[in-house]
Parts: sequence; C-alpha cells; structure tokens
Amino acid sequence: MDQAKLREIEARCTQEAMPRCRARCPLRMDVRAFMEHMADGKLREARKVLELHLPVPEIMARICDHPCEDHCLRRDLGGSLAIGALEAFCIGNADKQSKSFPRAPKAVSIAVLGNGLAGLVVAFELSRKAYPVTIFHEGEAHGTLLQRFSSLAQEHVAREYEGLLKAGCTVTERVLDAALLEKARSGFTAVFVDADAAAGLFAGLGAAPDPATGFVTGNICAGGMLAQSPTGALYASSSKQASEGRRSAVTLERLVTGVSLTAERGAELTRETPLHTPLDGVMPKAPVLPQGDAYLPEEAMQEAARCIRCECLACVRECVYLQKYGGYPRTYARQIYNNASIVKGGHLANALINGCMLCGQCTELCPERFSMAELCLSARQDMVTRGYMPASAHEFALEDMESANSETCALFMGDPGGKKTVYAFFPGCQLAASRGEQVLATYEFLHDALPSGEGVGLFLSCCGVPAHWAGSEEKFQSGLARIRAEWERAGRPTLIMACASCLKTFGEAAPGIPTVSLWAMLDGHLMDMPTKPAEKTYCIHDPCAARHDEAWQKAVRSLAAKCGVSLEEPRRTGMETACCGYGGLMWNAQPELAAVAARHKADALDKPALASCIMCRDRLVASGKECLHLLDILPFSKTDDGSKAALAAPPGLSARRANRAALAGRVRVTYLGGTALSVTYRVTMAPELLVELERKHILREDVERSVLAIEAAGARFCERRSGHYVGSWRPRRVTFWVRYSANADGTYVLHDAWCHRMTVPDAGRPGSLP
Amino acid sequence: MSMSPNYTPDDGDWICEACACPLEQQKVQVFYLESAFDVSLPACPRCKRILIPKSLAEGKMLEVEALLEDK
Repeated sequence: MDQAKLREIEARCTQEAMPRCRARCPLRMDVRAFMEHMADGKLREARKVLELHLPVPEIMARICDHPCEDHCLRRDLGGSLAIGALEAFCIGNADKQSKSFPRAPKAVSIAVLGNGLAGLVVAFELSRKAYPVTIFHEGEAHGTLLQRFSSLAQEHVAREYEGLLKAGCTVTERVLDAALLEKARSGFTAVFVDADAAAGLFAGLGAAPDPATGFVTGNICAGGMLAQSPTGALYASSSKQASEGRRSAVTLERLVTGVSLTAERGAELTRETPLHTPLDGVMPKAPVLPQGDAYLPEEAMQEAARCIRCECLACVRECVYLQKYGGYPRTYARQIYNNASIVKGGHLANALINGCMLCGQCTELCPERFSMAELCLSARQDMVTRGYMPASAHEFALEDMESANSETCALFMGDPGGKKTVYAFFPGCQLAASRGEQVLATYEFLHDALPSGEGVGLFLSCCGVPAHWAGSEEKFQSGLARIRAEWERAGRPTLIMACASCLKTFGEAAPGIPTVSLWAMLDGHLMDMPTKPAEKTYCIHDPCAARHDEAWQKAVRSLAAKCGVSLEEPRRTGMETACCGYGGLMWNAQPELAAVAARHKADALDKPALASCIMCRDRLVASGKECLHLLDILPFSKTDDGSKAALAAPPGLSARRANRAALAGRVRVTYLGGTALSVTYRVTMAPELLVELERKHILREDVERSVLAIEAAGARFCERRSGHYVGSWRPRRVTFWVRYSANADGTYVLHDAWCHRMTVPDAGRPGSLP
Repeated sequence: MSMSPNYTPDDGDWICEACACPLEQQKVQVFYLESAFDVSLPACPRCKRILIPKSLAEGKMLEVEALLEDK
C-alpha cells in the first residue's frame, strides 16, 4: 500500500469529517465539542471552544446569524438546537479563557479601512499574529457595529477593542475617502477595505474581491459585503462578513510574506460534508426554550444535551473487534499502513490486523463500503510474504487444517454403487469434526433421494480457507490445487456444500468447480413438501460467509418452515449478520475477543437460535446460548430431543480432530471395505484439565505423544515427594511439557501441561540423552 | 528487553531420574526469533538437561515471545 492508496482508503471512512453544523459554519465553529461541554455544564471549557474558533468572540457569539441551525440533524427530530442562543449564553456567563502574550511586532504594516465586522475580524486575526494593524474609521469607533447589530451592547464591543489595542492595533479616525485609500496603498504593506463600513471606498475599487481569497488588486483585499435575501433585500450576515474578514486576513498575510494566495485553499468555501450519521434509535426531543428572556444555566445544559453529537461509527457500534482497539476504520487504516512501513521498532498493529473476523459486516453497514476485511487480509498476506507474521497468530489453526487434510481425516469417495459420481457431498471440516453421525445421515439421504442415475460421492476435506484467512496464499492455493485434482479425478461432480465458508471460498477462488449449498439442494429438489404448522419459534442466525448468498438464506428459512419451525429475524440479519468469532481465525489469534464476539451475537438473539453453520452453532452454545443446527430439525438427521440438542456442548479441539478421523474411518469401513481402527490412549486426565489445556492449544494427542516420547527416552525429571514426572517434547515449533504419574499397568495420569515457543538447548529432545 | 535471570522449579524437590542427580541452577541461553537471553534454569549437572517451570513458560517467556513476534 502506498501513500496515495492509503489516502484513498482513509477517505472512505467519514468519521473524522465535519458534522453538518460545522461544515455549514463559514467560521468552522466546532459546535459538537461546544455542545458537549455545555451539556456537561463546563462553561469555561465551552468558552474555550468559542474563543478557538470565533474571531472577536465577545461580538461574534452574540450576533451570529447561525446558518448551522438550518442544517442541524436535530431539525427533524424535535427541532434544531438553539446554537446561536447557547453561544450567546456561554459568552455572557463565562469569563475570557485565552491569554495573549506580548510579541515583537512584525516589520510590515496592515491598514484596515472601515471598522465593520469584516474589518475588525481582519484586525483581530492579524494582530494576534503580531502584525501591526491600523484601523481607520469614521465617527465614533464603537458606533459602527452597534448600529449594524442591534443585539450588541457597548461593553461587548469595548471589550474586543480593548483586546485589539492590547494586541498592538492602532485605531484612527479619518475620513474614508480615495485620498486615504491611495495613502494606505502606498504607505502600508497591505490594505483591507471593509465593504460595509467603507462602502464608498469599496465601490471605488472598480473590481470585486475574489470570493475564495478576498483579493482585489495589488496589495488590496476587501470583504464584508452585504448579503442578499431570496427576495432581493440586502442585509448584513454576520457569519458571512466575519468569514470574508478571516479569508482576507489569510490572503493579506500571504501577500506580505510572499506566499501563493490560492494554494491549499479549496476547502474554505466547502459547505458540504461526507460525514454519515446513523439516526436509528435517536428519539425526537423538543427544544428546551428559556422560560425568561435568556437561558438559565440548567436550561442551557438541557438544550445542549439534545445535541446528537453527529458521528458515524456505523460499523464500530456493531463490531466488538472494531470497538476493542478504540478507533475506527480510518485510524486503523493509518495504523496498518504504519505497521507495514516502519523500519525499526515494534509492529504495533499486528494484533489489530490479526484480530479482524474478515466477516464483511462493516462493509455492509458503511455507506462508503469501507472494508476492514480487505485491509486486514492484504496486510496479513504482506506480513506472511515479508516474514513477520507472528507464529502464534495462526499456526495452531493451520496445523488443525493440515490435520483435517491428513490421510487419516480426509478422503474422496466416489459413488459406492459404481454409478457416475454426478454429485459429491462436501460437509466441510468442522461439520465433520462436530457432527459425524449427521454427516453420514445426510450423505445417505442424498444418496437415496437423488435420481437413481446420479451417483453421489463424499468428499471429506478442509476447503483451505484457514490458510486464506491467515494470509498464507501459497498454502491456500496449493490446498485448492489438491482439491481441484481430486475433483477432476472424480469426474468433476457438483459439490453439495454444508458450510457457508467452503461455499464462498470455492465460489471466489475456484469458480470452475460447480457448487450448490446443501440447503438449496434439499429445499429445491429433495424435500419438496408443504410448510408445517409452526410448533416452535427460533431466532435465525445467518452465517457471515452467507451474507451475500440469498439462495442459502432463503433455503434455510424454507426448510425450517417445512419442519414446523417459525423463525424470528434479529436486528442484524441476512446481509448484515455478525460473525460468531470464528471467521478470519479470530478464534485462534484472539480467543478472548472471539468469545466476546460469540456472546455479543448470542445477546442479539432473543430466542433460542437456529444456525445453518456448525461453527456458529457450536460457538453460540459455548457462549451459553441455546442453539440448534439446521440438521438437528431435518427429518433425516434430526436428534431425538431438540431441547437437549440445543444445549449439547460442542466437542473440544482434541475431540474435533478425533471425530474427523473417526468419521473418515467409518466411511472406510462402511463403504470402502476398510478395517476399523480403534484409538486408545495411555494417558488419562480429568476432563476439566483437558478444557484448560485446549485453551492453551495443547491437545490430548500432544500430551499422549509427549509422555510416550519421554518414557521411550527415559528422559524425565522426578519430584521426590509427589513422585510426579516432568519431561518435554518438541515435535514442531512448540515445546510441550507434561507433568504426570505412571501407573503400574503402563498407563499414565496427566497432572498438568504447558508449552512455549522459545528454544532451549537440552530441553525438548528426549532422544538426546548421552 | 530482558528476562530476569534466575528461575527455580515452581515446587518440590526435583532430580534427573536417569542420572539420579538433584537439579542445580545452571546458566543457559534461550532463543527465539534471532534473539538470545541468558537465564539460570534448573538443570541436571550431569546430562545438562533443562527444566522449564510452568510459571516461566506461561509468564515471562510468553510475554517475551509476544514482544519478539511483534518486533
């Protein structure tokens, strides 16, 4: 990703864009921050915001014609906020917060001809930067503004003049005529003509100021023109006049410092904002009006509290992963870019990159379709290619994938009756790991129900998506090549897929392989039966991998109805469904967050759930939610007692691997004439200990092989009081340690196990004894 | 980055069964991702086999592994 690409990606997250009130304010007042302080009753903080954004704040906060209010998102939800009135309240009830420090005056001179609002703003802006400014005016100095803006009092104007004098301005009464203009033009470095207070001079300039810069000619700028109402009436718009003064001040500074007048100034006149603010859940609230002539503090707080605090976060609100890192896609894109660009120091965004479920919910919720999945996946691929992907992020999951694709667990079986294999059932590695019985029942049903000429095979394998999620494209592609070769050898059958991730993966990465979802196959062809009266109601949970698979979603709902189950739709369903925490290998890289994701999903389902993905089902149940898999209610595969099935604990990681092997073994025995293989373990342990070990990604198989290897080498330490043994074994990039006792019959009892990735000479190699 | 130097067994009175020797603290180097650390670990004085206590594996080692993986 280069800088240009980063900016393109960043631009698609609008969270940092201005709210409409600010975009519509010609002075770019940060109304949202102001309202936040006002709602908290922090008047001094609120005034700091005013002083930061408004020129001559004592005047401006009282006379602003607040164009922001017409564009407040509250307008249709009770009424726009009283932004102008609250600003006036704040300036009148909090003391000045900013301090000015004496600075050496710059060696240039600025003349301001006319002391209208624009003229004063020019003087304010430039004198703060130590430019010596001389204001020329006619008549009594304060009178010009007092006459123009009737809501102003003498004291307010006086305070700002006092500030201008302190900042080094000179205020001089002169007739504002052509002779003065000529004198100013030649005697000062730059000149500003106030079009309202020095209307005659302005008319005599002969050219209109450039709207973007206020530049007229030579060293002259002008601004502060009257605005025109839709009916043609001329009036003084305070915000417009002040902003013209501010823009001219920028131009005057550029004039005297020799900088381009126009470079980087396009945004000053922009009044639109791309910020998207979701309004779902925002209830209408009537304005809080002052009971007397002006707001009381409590009333002002209540009115300010009506501010919606416009921001997007449409994705962050729904995603526990996006919430965890405290930012939003725009900031994450920057962090991910920096992660790839650093030369020295820590890769601080590794966890951010590897935490994403890659589920795509954010893209569906984002009006600009920002994709964290694309960002994180390409970052993972880059990390793998450049060799700095942390081993702990995905290694265990990839080992699990290898196990699912090993000779013990994977197989392809053509139609056992010798017919041409037109279809092959592809249950996916996790359904095989969790529901071996139902995989066989489904296979048998498909085999019997499909027309007699169409043979049905069985393909036990992982689709390879874990490698894709891990950013290991090479592994992913080689896995796909293996599957493709098997598929071609089998006569190119259509694969009937029971896993949404497998289906999506094949659709995207192996489009030449024809696939159909098991549910669409059953619903469309094989279970052509009427809807049954509803006996039970479940909350449907769509798998994230099927968010764009309408056929999958439709078939699941139809099959449930045929089985007498009525379904309720959760708030985020179908295309907007959330991930259970399995996607993107979050379960492996950040198991705690994955558990939060499952709970978050479970909490959004009001009733016991029905899932069509086995990992969703198993993870929801593990989070304490009652949940059935669709196979639990279909006539050919349903379990006897639905309510028990909805709570049945999913198998642990060790059992999942064993179940895959057992399923493949059963297929070999039943259909291929194989002999039954029995697995016996010599190491036993308490079930709770296994749960604890699996949390550390230590499997029963690891423990068994560790103990046997240590025993074979006689390489054990002994604790003399308890008689416990400890030894280690390093079969791959992990060293396993086991603490156990030996029984007289050659079996062992495990007491504990731990592991590490670091290498330690003379540990972990049982065979290395002298 | 450093690992505190001395790690003793989490509990008990340990011997290397093959050598029938009580374990003694011995200075060794542990390695991960091109980094090496000197630590003192329980070891058999004869066969030099090392014992990594659980508290070290799941404490400091895990922490340092994570730091090095993100380096």
